[in-house]
Amino acid sequence: MNIAVLSCIHGNLAALEAVLQEIDQQSVDKIYCLGDLVGYGPYPNEVVARIRERDIPTCQGCWDEDIVDGLNACDCSYPSLLAETRGRLAHEWTNQEVTPETRAYLANLPLTLQQDSLCFVHGSPHSQHEYLLPETSAFIAMERVLATGADTLFCGHTHVPYLRHLEDSHLTLKVVSPSTQSPIPSTTPLPTLKRIINAGSVGEPRHGRPNATYIIYSTDTQQAELREVEYDYAQTCAAILEKGLPAIFAWRLSKGLEYAEKADDPTHVCER
Amino acid sequence: MITVVAGPCGAGKTTWILQELAQMPTLAVYVTPGVDPVPIDATRVAAQFPQVEIFHQQSETELLQRLAAGVPAYFEIGFQLETDMPLLEARPHRRVALAADENRDDDWQLWADKVIRGNQSTLDLQSAQLWRAPLSGQVFDPPSLDTFWQELIQGAYGELHRAKGIFELADGQAIHLNFVDSLPGIVYTELNLPRWVQGRPQRFSGIEVVGQGLDKGAIAATLKDCYLSDSLLAAHQTTLRDSLSLEAS
Repeated sequence: MNIAVLSCIHGNLAALEAVLQEIDQQSVDKIYCLGDLVGYGPYPNEVVARIRERDIPTCQGCWDEDIVDGLNACDCSYPSLLAETRGRLAHEWTNQEVTPETRAYLANLPLTLQQDSLCFVHGSPHSQHEYLLPETSAFIAMERVLATGADTLFCGHTHVPYLRHLEDSHLTLKVVSPSTQSPIPSTTPLPTLKRIINAGSVGEPRHGRPNATYIIYSTDTQQAELREVEYDYAQTCAAILEKGLPAIFAWRLSKGLEYAEKADDPTHVCER
Repeated sequence: MITVVAGPCGAGKTTWILQELAQMPTLAVYVTPGVDPVPIDATRVAAQFPQVEIFHQQSETELLQRLAAGVPAYFEIGFQLETDMPLLEARPHRRVALAADENRDDDWQLWADKVIRGNQSTLDLQSAQLWRAPLSGQVFDPPSLDTFWQELIQGAYGELHRAKGIFELADGQAIHLNFVDSLPGIVYTELNLPRWVQGRPQRFSGIEVVGQGLDKGAIAATLKDCYLSDSLLAAHQTTLRDSLSLEAS
């Protein structure tokens, strides 16, 4: 069975259409979406409608949650004052733009999805807002995968795709005996292979090109293929300007830069 | 000796003068007319060589006294200014042009007694825009400033040829940022100035941008979004003072 995994569409309808069109040309049996359907981009309602039309199982992203519950960010959401200002502008615009139907759909999205040994989340199983970066410590990464009971964890949120193998891991516990005061280590080998697969971003890539990314994964061979799709990003840039979103969003999209947020501290554990 | 230095935008005039001043242990004078209220180069020179006297106006009495006394003087003429200076008509001086191509028959090279190889300049003077803004008293959030500067030099606010500025940072330091489109990378220099740890800095900072099709309003608005508020600045400075007093003890 082949599945396609996409994430972080951010109201970019042209990018979503291009990805869905390409998926339709592959032998894909099922599509999963890791959330962040809205935020920054000009077509939040249309993106949600397209996901619903295609009946794509979707988990809730951080932007989806913020539109439902309001902003309540940890530092990792806004690594600079400028990012915060832009993020708030985008939030206010999106908050006014989304219909009650869109908001209700976003509110009812699950935080995780599971299929056999695969788990799907937006940021991490801990929080939609937590970044699992390629450099996140192996201990934290392993803990997050183990918490799901799955072997392979699909996530997004970083907007940069990656595949990470977690293998040959050991968990060591040190128990201090009251009589000897010396630690007695107890080492437990962990299951041989766990993986984190990050799908990147359909609508707001941060890999230096404006192209959308997604993953095709074979449950038979356990091979993950990162796909990069060119699309008419100028169409989205024009809509950003037309709809009154900040012009800098259009420029950043055209450069393959994330609109405002960027996470680059692998030691940060989200406190939201 | 009086040296008048001219050349295209970003040719390296100030850098060359700094190299000259480094070889000069005695008192010297640096004159940079037409830059008020944004004396970026003068502030850079003063920070690196505190013994150098800085003048922005050609007719200041003290300047005339220094010239009469024979103090070595460097006049830096901005690319947008005329090279003829009435003040120097009756005074012997040498004319130095910074230019990329020593054989080019441009006005600066025709004017100069000596041509020094400088950076390539691709600026079209006819359509060039110059935008300056004083930023004194404003303190920047470093990651915000970094994002803004990257956007600026990559062309988010128009076709950029040259950008330079002095910025106050949250850690109390003042930095000089320098970008020329014909050179790789950004030159980042911490200025040799004391850390400002209490209140808003009472010293000069500012920005100068040269390019074409510049969206000056967007540049100014983005800069404003990078400023620390009074409360954030106070919090940073409290931490900074605690840290510095720990280091001292």
